[in-house]
Amino acid sequence: MKPELGTRPNPIIIEVKELSKVFPGGITAVNKVSFSVYEGEIFGFLGPNGAGKSTTIAVLTTLLKPTGGQAFIAGFDTEKQADRVRSVLGYVSQDLAVDDSLTGRENLILQAGFYHIPRNEIQYRCDEVLKLVGLEEHAGRLVETYSGGMRKRLDIAAGLIHRPKILFLDEPTLGLDIQTRQQVWTYITGLREKYNMTIFLTTHYMEEADSLCNRIAIIDQGEIKTIDRPSKLKREVGEELVKIRFAGGEKNTAEEIEAALHAIRGLPTVKSIRPEHDSQVIVSSDGEALVPLIFEALQPLQVKINSVIVKKPTLDDVYLAFTGRNLRNETADKNQALQSMIRMRRIRS
Amino acid sequence: MYFLSDVYYVCWREMKRFLSQKTRILMTVFQPLIWLVLMGNMMNGLTSNSMAAEMLGIDNYLSFMTPGIMIMTTLFSGVFGGISIIWDRRTGFLNKMLAAPISRAAIPLGKMIAIAIQSVFQIAVIAVIAALFGVKFVTGMTGILFMLVVIILFSFGMAGISLSLATVIKSHETLMAVVNFLTLPLMFTSATIFPKLAMPSWLKVIATWNPLTYAVEPVRTLTMKGWVWPQIIPGLALMLIFAAVMIAVSTRQFSKSIS
Ligand SMILES: Nc1ncnc2c1ncn2[C@@H]1O[C@H](COP(=O)(O)OP(=O)(O)OP(=O)(O)O)[C@@H](O)[C@H]1O
Ligand SMILES: [Mg+2]
Repeated sequence: MKPELGTRPNPIIIEVKELSKVFPGGITAVNKVSFSVYEGEIFGFLGPNGAGKSTTIAVLTTLLKPTGGQAFIAGFDTEKQADRVRSVLGYVSQDLAVDDSLTGRENLILQAGFYHIPRNEIQYRCDEVLKLVGLEEHAGRLVETYSGGMRKRLDIAAGLIHRPKILFLDEPTLGLDIQTRQQVWTYITGLREKYNMTIFLTTHYMEEADSLCNRIAIIDQGEIKTIDRPSKLKREVGEELVKIRFAGGEKNTAEEIEAALHAIRGLPTVKSIRPEHDSQVIVSSDGEALVPLIFEALQPLQVKINSVIVKKPTLDDVYLAFTGRNLRNETADKNQALQSMIRMRRIRS
Repeated sequence: MYFLSDVYYVCWREMKRFLSQKTRILMTVFQPLIWLVLMGNMMNGLTSNSMAAEMLGIDNYLSFMTPGIMIMTTLFSGVFGGISIIWDRRTGFLNKMLAAPISRAAIPLGKMIAIAIQSVFQIAVIAVIAALFGVKFVTGMTGILFMLVVIILFSFGMAGISLSLATVIKSHETLMAVVNFLTLPLMFTSATIFPKLAMPSWLKVIATWNPLTYAVEPVRTLTMKGWVWPQIIPGLALMLIFAAVMIAVSTRQFSKSIS
């Protein structure tokens, strides 16, 4: 599903240098952030509510002026060449910003107008993006009557109408059901494959970052904690766990289990062992290879084993390792809460 | 230059929204109808009193009132124009427009034009209903067209105030409160609903300087008296200045980048 980029690095298309945004109230939403995104890449910003994801996107899409640093989109300065920047990028906000009192097609015509697409080409472009997101049959209906998923697809279609080189997707699957979420993923990877579009997305879903992105940046409280490929990050965090549940009661005596653990402790790649509920958790740098070694070592000891589970690190663990916290879910202030309430209502209706 | 096209698309959206709201269209028809029927019935007794008739300057109260209702209707549509900006900001549509390479000034201008078109539609409805109730527009069709020019300028001005306020006020409750605080006293101290002759002298002074009085004066003159230029020019001139200033202020507010 996820296309790997070639070994030769593609040209840089988004360059961010020491970017900061301090809001008038004194809140530092983005704090000296630097990174580059390569052409044709799907780049993800992963972080909890209030991490500064939307603020970063707002600065990159020229909606907010940075209070420090610089950003270049396709070589254009977001502050000094705002109009050039605006015409090369597509922006799909997390707000589901489609106009309810227009039809789907009218929304797209409007968008085409805003992007200065010649009049005689507008209908063709509308058909093109409608087909891409599978809304051809509903184009004539008022958006009021759309489901949440259809609205999101329409919003994405609108972001594509001028065939942008770079697409910014702010939480593209927020509030969507699993099925629709997977559909959106398919569109996103399709865009990258078909048009070699660069996609910058934000999410606070681990699976999303993991399965879509070529590289991800973990952002928390306005700072980037790390940037790399998901697989590499997971490997770096390293720890794989092997959970063993010994049979209890009369089948194993305490001494037998103690002897077994002693044998396991001596095996290669084992770092530590700790009890957890009715199991023993073995921390290892290579869990899969450890399992056959464990069985070999335990064979002469006659202990009975109920189950063995190998757990590889997930991005959740990566997140935990880099921020010291689990992804939390709290809304920052009243206005934000109201906004997300409106958003959720629009998604559900 | 894409400026005109940008204005066109912003305006097109507003018109589509307006036309999709059937109740809103009905309201724009019924509201003046109710005003005219209610006022006409309640106050018609007035004109049987010869002194009152003299103050009104006419023996048909509705002829006096119709221009007032036109200005009031325009005032309200204009002054609530800013709410659409606040709503657009809440739903994220404003950011969607701002992320596009459209001219920032096209946003208030497109909305202003849409509001003015809606006002023209309302004024036409009022004129027709008034005519059915027996109001005679002494300057005829040409006079009505001329009134529309004044009304459009007035609408630009009022919408401009509201749209400019909406760039700094972020909640519609606050905007409504501010707008009501401004418009109601403005209305009751003007010659929109009461003839100046009937006012106590202190109120007369205020009414003379009240911009609403300037707005209603040319319209009323054209409805009741005819092409009396000395009573038309000052109002028209002030409305021209008002519209120009508010267009400048609101487009500047938007160009200064909002949100
Ligand atoms: N206009 C604003 N004025 C003041 N503070 C703001 C403004 N917009 C955002 N913030 C603050 O900046 C911080 C970052 O917000 P931002 O919206 O970028 O987070 P996010 O990562 O997109 O979160 P979410 O997952 O909820 O969308 C938050 O503390 C927020 O309260
Ligand atoms: Mg956000």
